[in-house]
Amino acid sequence: MLKTIQWIVVTLVLCISVSTVFSQGLTPPLNVTAVDTANDDGSSITIKWDAAAEDSGISGYQILRRIADGELETIGDLLPVGTTTYVDSAIEGGTAYTYVVRAVSATEATADSEQTAPVEGSGEWFHTEKTPLFIAMLLFSAAIVWNIYNARSGKEVFVRRIPGLEAVDEAIGRATEMGRSILYVLGLGGVSGVATVASMTILAQVARRTADYETPLRVPCNDPIVMNVVREMVKTAYLEEGHPDAYNEENIFFLTEDQFAYAAGVDGIMVREKPATVFLQGSFAAESLILAETGNSIGAIQIAGTDSEHQLPFFIAACDYTLIGEELYAASAYLSKEPMLLGSLRGQDWGKVLIFGAIALGVILELSGITWITTLLQRVN
Amino acid sequence: MKRQVPLVLCFLFGVVMCFTQFSPHSFSQSIYDEVVYWALIMSPFALAVGTITLVQTHVIRIRRRTEHWQYSFVVFAGLLTMVVIGLPFGPQHPAFAWLFNNVQVPLDATMFSLLAFLIASAAFRAFRARTFEASLLLISAMIVLIGNVPVGDLIWNTVLSWLPWDNGASEARQWILGNPNLSARRGIILGVSLGVISQAIRLILGIERSYIGGGD
Repeated sequence: MLKTIQWIVVTLVLCISVSTVFSQGLTPPLNVTAVDTANDDGSSITIKWDAAAEDSGISGYQILRRIADGELETIGDLLPVGTTTYVDSAIEGGTAYTYVVRAVSATEATADSEQTAPVEGSGEWFHTEKTPLFIAMLLFSAAIVWNIYNARSGKEVFVRRIPGLEAVDEAIGRATEMGRSILYVLGLGGVSGVATVASMTILAQVARRTADYETPLRVPCNDPIVMNVVREMVKTAYLEEGHPDAYNEENIFFLTEDQFAYAAGVDGIMVREKPATVFLQGSFAAESLILAETGNSIGAIQIAGTDSEHQLPFFIAACDYTLIGEELYAASAYLSKEPMLLGSLRGQDWGKVLIFGAIALGVILELSGITWITTLLQRVN
Repeated sequence: MKRQVPLVLCFLFGVVMCFTQFSPHSFSQSIYDEVVYWALIMSPFALAVGTITLVQTHVIRIRRRTEHWQYSFVVFAGLLTMVVIGLPFGPQHPAFAWLFNNVQVPLDATMFSLLAFLIASAAFRAFRARTFEASLLLISAMIVLIGNVPVGDLIWNTVLSWLPWDNGASEARQWILGNPNLSARRGIILGVSLGVISQAIRLILGIERSYIGGGD
């Protein structure tokens, strides 16, 4: 009997010793901090702690949260052992939270960190990581505004020859001589698309010329709002050129919002009416080549322009002239020759010089082993 | 007044929306979301305007008996069928879904598949080696074409097995796409980005005002 009791006592002591040794080996997470997440809208708190040693016996972490004097509650799932950061995105503004990071072993033994100081989430008014981008935007905007207002003094601004825009008069004249219409396609963009707005400004210039020549101008639209804006623009252009009677509202019409149905509709117009000139200006996607090839097949002179760089090869292959990227945005200034608009083009060129300088400097610094500019740009990204 | 109000609104919304991109605060984000919601309100009105214009256009076509005017009846038949089924029963109704999946989707796919033939005809014209640049284009296109198909590397490894490089066709394709092609694309993207900013500044400052119907 005594021997049995001795065995039980020894076994119990051994068990307690082993469990004590194991629980003592599980170090609680150290240096746990909870701070308001930087550059957010105040809807999260970031908890950080030191990485555990490889032989610590920790198999994961559990985050516990306490609101004011309430109970500790578990939040989120068990985090893998390598984790050292957790972002609590389920917080309410104006409430203070404290956190505990609990280390969990494979045997489900636990060790809690010290409780963090109370922290509240607050939104920032300025995203500090976007500072370089903000400065670049300010610099570039200042360059454009400076050149715009400088151009008001009457200084002549040199603009390189853009063949696609030089051909606009020729294309309109051709349609007039042939007694056929001009088809102007604005692409798929809505009225909020910058490429569509740029296209509309070109259309306004084209409409002034068609008003003078009294050449029919057909504009099938993909968006009803764009259609209404375009109607107003073209009507004003005809009025200002002194040919209000030549304006026909029916020539600017809504076709469909569906991409390929729009392509089919425009193709149908091309094949039926055989316009002498086709303008494809704006935002285009896969339908670009369908439109351009149909225009090519009817022998129309085609002037295309888009900022969708994937569609540019198709336009270059199928059209007579193509405005590449930025030329689309320069078109309005180029055609109107308005000094203030031309001034903005010079500002744009200053921006290009700035970017080219940054690229050249970056290459030289990288080759010299100085990587801060790359790091800076990666941060902006 | 008719011109001033849109210009002032454009300036205000342009500046505010620009600064919301740099401010993560919930207040500025709520302004951004609110303005986007306002823009969405226009959608139903746009739909109504679009439908009315579509009907007007096709009524005129039928009345004037313009070329292929009979197809305008197909437009009305399609429009009415989808409205009659879609309005009372919603887009989840089996008849509506059947029409969408078996009429509109195949028609869209048909137009899209035309691209295969149109690319061939456009490529035929673009790749005619009449000038030095066109010859460069032709050679690059051939390398990319061969590098894109598995048999390209097989040909390379068999015919040019004496060369020290394996899978040269796909490597050459990758080099063309990753270096000259990507450089040109990034140049265009940079130009476009500057153009967009320039255009936006012209609109915000009211220098570019043809979108409100005129330059004065």
